[in-house]
Amino acid sequence: MLTESTVTFIALGAIFAFSFYAVLNAGQLSLGQAGFASVAAYTSVLVAPDPDVVGDVPALLVALAIGMTAGATAAVVLGLPTMHLRGVFLAIATLGFAEAVRIFVLNAEWTGGAQGMSVPKVVTPAIAWIVLAVVAYWFWRSAPTRYGRALEAIREDELAAGAMGIDVGRHRLGAFVTAGAVAGLYGVLWAYTVRLVGPADFGFTAAIDGLVTAMVGGTTVFVGPVLGSTFLTLVPEIQRALGVEAGWIRPFVAGLLLLVVILFLPGGLAGRIPRRLRVPDIAADADSGGADGEHPELRTRVHAPRGDVVVRLTGLSKDYGGVHAVRDVDLEIHSGELLGLIGPNGAGKTTLVNMISGLVPPSWGEASVLGVTAGRTPVHRVAAAGVSRTFQHSKLFGRLSALENVLVGGHLVTRPTLVRRLLWLPSARRDERAALTHAARCLDRVGMLDAATTRANALSYGDQRRLEIARALAADPSLLILDEPAAGMNQVEAGELARLIRSLADDGLAVLLIEHNVGLVRQICDRVVVLDFGEVIASGVPSDVAADPRVVEAYLGTEA
Amino acid sequence: MPHRALALFAATALTVTLTACTAEGGGGTDGGLVGEGTGEDCTIGSPVPVGAALSLTGAAGSYGESQQKGLELAAEQLNAQGGVEYELTVEDDQTDPRQGIAVFEQLTAEDGASVIIGPTLSTGAFQAQPIAQEEGVPVLAISNTVDGITAQGDYIFRDSLTESQVIPRTVAAAKAEYGLEKVVVMYANDDALAEAGGEVFAGALDAEGIDVADTLTFSVADTDFRALLTEAKAADPDALVVSSLIEAAIPLVTQARELGIDVPIIGGNGFNNPKLMADAGDAAEGVVVGAAWNSESESPENTAFLADFEEKNGTQPDQFAAQAYTGLMLIDQAVRSSCSGERDAIKEGLGAIEGVPTVLGELTINDERDAEHEAVVQVVEDGKFAVLE
Repeated sequence: MLTESTVTFIALGAIFAFSFYAVLNAGQLSLGQAGFASVAAYTSVLVAPDPDVVGDVPALLVALAIGMTAGATAAVVLGLPTMHLRGVFLAIATLGFAEAVRIFVLNAEWTGGAQGMSVPKVVTPAIAWIVLAVVAYWFWRSAPTRYGRALEAIREDELAAGAMGIDVGRHRLGAFVTAGAVAGLYGVLWAYTVRLVGPADFGFTAAIDGLVTAMVGGTTVFVGPVLGSTFLTLVPEIQRALGVEAGWIRPFVAGLLLLVVILFLPGGLAGRIPRRLRVPDIAADADSGGADGEHPELRTRVHAPRGDVVVRLTGLSKDYGGVHAVRDVDLEIHSGELLGLIGPNGAGKTTLVNMISGLVPPSWGEASVLGVTAGRTPVHRVAAAGVSRTFQHSKLFGRLSALENVLVGGHLVTRPTLVRRLLWLPSARRDERAALTHAARCLDRVGMLDAATTRANALSYGDQRRLEIARALAADPSLLILDEPAAGMNQVEAGELARLIRSLADDGLAVLLIEHNVGLVRQICDRVVVLDFGEVIASGVPSDVAADPRVVEAYLGTEA
Repeated sequence: MPHRALALFAATALTVTLTACTAEGGGGTDGGLVGEGTGEDCTIGSPVPVGAALSLTGAAGSYGESQQKGLELAAEQLNAQGGVEYELTVEDDQTDPRQGIAVFEQLTAEDGASVIIGPTLSTGAFQAQPIAQEEGVPVLAISNTVDGITAQGDYIFRDSLTESQVIPRTVAAAKAEYGLEKVVVMYANDDALAEAGGEVFAGALDAEGIDVADTLTFSVADTDFRALLTEAKAADPDALVVSSLIEAAIPLVTQARELGIDVPIIGGNGFNNPKLMADAGDAAEGVVVGAAWNSESESPENTAFLADFEEKNGTQPDQFAAQAYTGLMLIDQAVRSSCSGERDAIKEGLGAIEGVPTVLGELTINDERDAEHEAVVQVVEDGKFAVLE
């Protein structure tokens, strides 16, 4: 059953599946990998030296290097114009690329057209598995790094990832180029295994094969592609060994088994493998390492001194068609101030904070936030300037644990560890431990350390709100925007939350709190701004604002 | 959770059991492949294992099925004859190079086949045959028409004629019959066989001094050829020369007639299929195809084959079945010549085949290990292939 070629094809299938895993893990659906593999295979067969002249292994190494470069280059060329596409649109665009490559190969002179080019067989099972090991090593080591977590965060929620300071465009392109390089490796290995490289090997069916292998294996754990390829390669072999008669029955059974796996293991074969994450013992750490934030491994932000203006809005307006969501708002927020923003439903509160955090560009006016102009600067830059926020409808990274959510929140204050982790440098371990400790502290601050390993989408509603605050805090922000954090909390929880928010402002943060619970706002805010129909109708200390007749009218309506 | 795991296990086990019911017991051979006697009287103790790597499913599935029927008929008849028993194992390569290579590796294993028949497609042959060559297992190709298949090694033979053996004859016969001076060539450029056929046509037309007014390419997956045919019609050719698989041939021929192109259509090996008349109907009239097998031949071998095949399968055989049937008959010839079912003896035997009467006509395997026998040029008349004299 396990003949030489079967062993080789398991490795090859897994490598190709890894090229899909690379993008699926970052939430992108691309079908262009067959095109990258084709570009790589043809380029290396054309350019690489003849194995008979320089020897098998040197020739293959050169071919692999050429193929990887060709695949990655093709991915950059395709990625730059298509990276803004999402979901099915990206899939279609990349499929178009693969088809264009196929047509080119069919019609170019040097490729041998449909009959292909003959290639010496050089790849042995050992070589295929060594290359697979290298590829798997990359995905294994890169997963628990700042880069790997950023990709997963983008997969789970792109908007929230951007708000945490992750440069979504660059990371998506990074994943795409990785896919190109890995697909390139596959293309070269394929050519030097099957002796004949033809356009039919890199058509639509090949792309679907790769996608199915990756999905069957699972796209969240690095062993997924290996399991997927082993399963799909062995199904025909096992049937043959069992003596199932050749013919239609075999693909039929293979199809049924595929259905069974997808039905019963929606996360793929590797979906049941638990993610291991050690929750650091922060009590012990506090004893040895000093009180708070004394980690040299973390980047520290210089916060504005208490009382400085961190946000200045001048004439800020937003129209949606004919609707004036926000009209001509002037506002300043100071460091160390807890500012409450209240108003009836539809008053424009969320639109206002979306403009401050850079998610929505204003129609008129200017929002100067911590030295950057929000709306004209990419979201991740606004976040980098020191703005961190929670969302009205929580936007957690659902399939990541609570602790991992907070780790992503710490994106801006932790150091990149990818390269050092690949090289097993001890400093990477130190940095990762510091990041974990930092995340654990933030989780502890909202009282959720016990739930550190729970998946975010398995948490209760109230816990999800608190986790969002912990994630926002992990960015060490100068301005913290909380969009209805107490929604869905009971009296006790809301009281605890109020104390927490107050303590943050006392630490020197500027906090902008949107809240429906007027009692809570009156209790803790230094200043309150009331929005109605997009306009500021009142502003001042809470007791004054609450007594303002216009505010009463906006909330309760006029007396008949 | 345990429930789901259990259900998964149960479902898997069920599927495997269900299908294993159709399983056949495989069997190894332990020596005894050298027998006593010669020729007709040869008796070999152990059955001679013959492996066939065919494309039973996938893109080339229809050809593979036909070949399987031809082989099974031949095996049945040979085993009934006695003396030498053949243990035929038909394996499916699913028209997938990976499967093709895996199948060849299994068939060439220590206790594997003495000789391998197949694979169905030339592309698969290029990828899988070197394995047999390295292991010293003779291969007899039964449908591969591309040049260079047997050049891969001295263990590789074929009983199928190449396109370069059939097409020049076809072109010459059509020129004699219709006085061709100017033609339009059309071929599918994304299929290895159709493209290779197109190239051979171009060479043959050039050799005959026939002018090629235009060369048009299409995809094997195409179904609408009206635009191309309109272009072809504008060139006012004496004939259309088409190299494609049967799937594209049928709509192409039908649409050509619809557009009023009444000139002969000269097809490549892909047209060699009774489906052409069945599906294209009247439109197929006047299609000229060169073939390696003359279904109308009245040789005793062919008459018997036609009758036996129809009796066993209830349908008429096509060229693929005839070539497959011939393949096993030639192997029998090779085995009996030295009365040995061992790999090297079969290799010697196949190389020595000369003037053997077969369904395909008198067949010789030449020094390049390619088959040489009479090719036939056919034209569709009244819904049947008739020999173009």
